[in-house]
Amino acid sequence: MDSKAVGQSKWGRSRFGGGSGALIAVSLSAGAVLSAGAGVLLARLNAPEHFVLAALLMAAGLLPVLSTACWALLLDRDTLRGATRNPEISVESQWYDRAAIGVFQDLLLVCGLGGAVFSFIQIQASLGLVLAGVVLLALLDFGIRYFIIKRAES
Amino acid sequence: MENNLSAYRRERGFSQQALADLLGVSRQTVISLEKGRYDPSLPLAFKLSAVFGCKIEDLFIPGED
Repeated sequence: MDSKAVGQSKWGRSRFGGGSGALIAVSLSAGAVLSAGAGVLLARLNAPEHFVLAALLMAAGLLPVLSTACWALLLDRDTLRGATRNPEISVESQWYDRAAIGVFQDLLLVCGLGGAVFSFIQIQASLGLVLAGVVLLALLDFGIRYFIIKRAES
Repeated sequence: MENNLSAYRRERGFSQQALADLLGVSRQTVISLEKGRYDPSLPLAFKLSAVFGCKIEDLFIPGED
């Protein structure tokens, strides 16, 4: 029986050592650096006439997302409160797989039918907007499917 | 698949949460196993047999098919 005893906390600890405070500080710092870099780059490409304002706005918008991404990458998940040692053999893992398989099939259907229909209808749309829509659809579909499976089998 | 998990667990005096902690899985996993709504993977079945000190076939009763 594998019994790895680890202290768990609300924000967890870094996989490279240190406490929760250090993990949060490093995540926020890395997120700030990355969002500042991305803000400058995006502002230079998209709004050179209002460079400073655009860079600040984009960096502010990206800061929470990139800081959270850094936290997720640096986190040792075993130190997060409520984390199970063997999530891969838990029932939730099976629910996740089933929901993901359903989403994959839905995306094939929607993208296939959409591609067929829009090859005959001339509608111009931003590629970025369409891809964002597909991602949102996939996330929503996954959430609904997971919720339904969980309700049915709990 | 039918199983005797609930009986074995009660016999050992484990709560569902205690068994889940021993196995390193969620309590919901134990609930689903006991209700027969989740067929365990082979690693989980071996963990269960180790916890209860019995064979896998003592815990799980294969269906007709």
